[in-house]
Amino acid sequence: MSRTFTPDQELIDRLLLNDTDAFEELYCRYWYSLYNYSVKKLQSSTDARQIVKDIFIDLWEKRHTLPANFSVSQHLYSSVRRNVVTCLNDKLENADYSELLEQQIAAGFTVEALQDARKPVQKKQLAPTASELIRQNTISREQPRNHVLNMASMKWLVRMVAAKLD
Amino acid sequence: MKTEILHKKLERYVNGEAMPAETRQIQAWLSCTTSETELSATDKMKLEADILKEIQDETAYPLFYPKQEKPWWQKITAMF
Repeated sequence: MSRTFTPDQELIDRLLLNDTDAFEELYCRYWYSLYNYSVKKLQSSTDARQIVKDIFIDLWEKRHTLPANFSVSQHLYSSVRRNVVTCLNDKLENADYSELLEQQIAAGFTVEALQDARKPVQKKQLAPTASELIRQNTISREQPRNHVLNMASMKWLVRMVAAKLD
Repeated sequence: MKTEILHKKLERYVNGEAMPAETRQIQAWLSCTTSETELSATDKMKLEADILKEIQDETAYPLFYPKQEKPWWQKITAMF
């Protein structure tokens, strides 16, 4: 998998030409957020896994019928929402699940739960960034700049060698 | 909410027959992501590979479109 960032649109163009690498790049980019969302909604990793699988199988099978100006992220996120609702609806038909669903999922539909969820999300305590560390005088101002310079010169060198070999 | 009521609401939503208030309620539920569930890096990598393997088995795309081996310098370039 390449470390250089390829825009989604370019990956979709390559997908139309049956490029499996482009498909796998899209999978790696989106699978976890789709999986995580499904797990949160359905409280079931098995169902979440099935949903992710179905969405990507559908994307691969319908790759030649994708419309122009197709937004893959929009498509994937609307698909996961639709599949979550369909899956929950199917589970509710099964009487074995009803008690479990009532405790875990149906409680999330109450007015209080929906109002709570609309409250602003509290900011997480993240690791300090380079600029914060400089401000706190933990690291010198030169350190990050040197690191960026070294990476840039390394990239340039590798590109030059690759261009010569091509 | 009782599961029977929820089931009826979801049934109408799936069939496109939901009332505007029901649609809003379901969409509000779909938009809320409050709980935190994180997998460990190892579990995440394993799950990623497992799901991809299942997709490959189902679609059989590696058989129809096998990957070509890249030249060694392209592999090194991709690492940077």
